[in-house]
Amino acid sequence: MINVKDLHKSFGHNEILKGISTHVEEKEVVVVIGPSGSGKSTFLRCLNGLETATSGEIEIAGMTLTDPKTNIHTLRQHVGMVFQQFNLFKHLTILENVTIGPRKVKKVAQAQADKVARELLAKVGLVGKEASYPDELSGGQQQRVAIARSLAMGPNVMLFDEPTSALDPEMVGEVLQVMKTLAIEGMTMVVVTHEMGFAREVGHRVIFMDDGLIVEEGAPKSLFSDPQKDRTKGFLAKIL
Amino acid sequence: MDPIRQNLPVLLDGLRLTIQYSVVAIILMVVIGLIAALMRLSTVAPLRWIATAYVEIFRSTPLLVQLFFIVLGLPAILPVNQWFGQLTYPILAAAITLSLNEGAYVTEIIRAGILGVDRGQKEAAQSIAMNGFQTMRYIVLPQAFKRMIPPLVNQAAQTIKDTSLLAPVGIAELVYKGEIVIAETFASFAIWGLIAALYFVLIFSLSKFASYLERRLQVDKR
Ligand SMILES: Nc1ncnc2c1ncn2[C@@H]1O[C@H](COP(=O)(O)OP(=O)(O)OP(=O)(O)O)[C@@H](O)[C@H]1O
Ligand SMILES: [Mg+2]
Repeated sequence: MINVKDLHKSFGHNEILKGISTHVEEKEVVVVIGPSGSGKSTFLRCLNGLETATSGEIEIAGMTLTDPKTNIHTLRQHVGMVFQQFNLFKHLTILENVTIGPRKVKKVAQAQADKVARELLAKVGLVGKEASYPDELSGGQQQRVAIARSLAMGPNVMLFDEPTSALDPEMVGEVLQVMKTLAIEGMTMVVVTHEMGFAREVGHRVIFMDDGLIVEEGAPKSLFSDPQKDRTKGFLAKIL
Repeated sequence: MDPIRQNLPVLLDGLRLTIQYSVVAIILMVVIGLIAALMRLSTVAPLRWIATAYVEIFRSTPLLVQLFFIVLGLPAILPVNQWFGQLTYPILAAAITLSLNEGAYVTEIIRAGILGVDRGQKEAAQSIAMNGFQTMRYIVLPQAFKRMIPPLVNQAAQTIKDTSLLAPVGIAELVYKGEIVIAETFASFAIWGLIAALYFVLIFSLSKFASYLERRLQVDKR
């Protein structure tokens, strides 16, 4: 589903990603961990073209992102993204937030888009909030709308960049629960998170990044209990 | 004879012309400002340069000089009067020059409004596969627009006042008509006072309408 070969990304002279290679299977849930500034967000943003790779190759959802001939907008219909700060469209209602992509991008009729959006909002536990505006919702609710908004496009892959880091602790669970359901339903997911419980329970594989490189990767159980590299040990000692 | 009552129809005719020029210039300045703002924010460098040059040139020279230059200066080197007609050219040139001048300020208002929208909004739109146009049209501009209303209303008020500079280049509007009336009646104090009052009513009602509009938008949509 995702194939990354020797991905480099620099901002000016500052090389942030220094040669990332990895592969994500269909229906696999990959959790990316690593210290602040290690390039996790940059990596994720490269996967849907929010950042342009400096060099290397990215194949995702059957398309080659790094091929200049690839239509980035077509590709993004298949790659959903959830942001740390939710980024709901502030001027639109919850329902409109979820329908605007299908309606304007995929030209789905309003009635059909509304129907799908209501189903998705029900799925993320937000029935009755359709007419509210984002700033009337709690952070956890907003993030669940953001997930529904992404799902409305019918993606094959979902990218999550620290989806619970901006939430009050009591709201983390409800968002993780939605993500867990998605994983169980077979969504291919790449999740940057500090929630080790989620990584252990839902993740099929954990990637530890440091300083723009994948230092170590493996099944959550083995990586957490028996890390091989010193840098992984040091990082895990700090967060576990 | 009461100079005001006798000449009121002439002055009201001037007011009508002032309103006409104002409406045209306000519409055009927004259209021009939107285009130039999008050019200034474009990734295509030559578009940015053209828009920046336009804004700087019009903001760094007096409107009165621009009007003299284009309305009266240009016909001295180009047969524009023949192209557009002796009577039409000055009116057309004056309206366009005024619009371009105000448009330069509107460019900066719209540009600032667009830049003021949180970057995450644009990224979220991109992540649901919106293209550049859709992102602007459905996500960025609607949010930018609300914060642009107060400065745009200011600029519209400025535009109404600036139409008075059409008189020196020979375009008939309120001030121009006023000068004619004063030349005949010598009622300088009364006529200028009346003209000032007419501008005041015009601009005051505009700003009242704008704050009404703003309140409406505040309630309907956030
Ligand atoms: N647009 C940009 N321009 C310049 N530098 C950037 C840009 N985006 C990110 N960086 C730099 O790249 C480095 C890695 O950033 P990134 O956000 O990918 O790290 P991260 O692993 O997600 O960290 P965190 O856990 O804090 O979110 C940082 O030093 C950051 O300053
Ligand atoms: Mg990050």
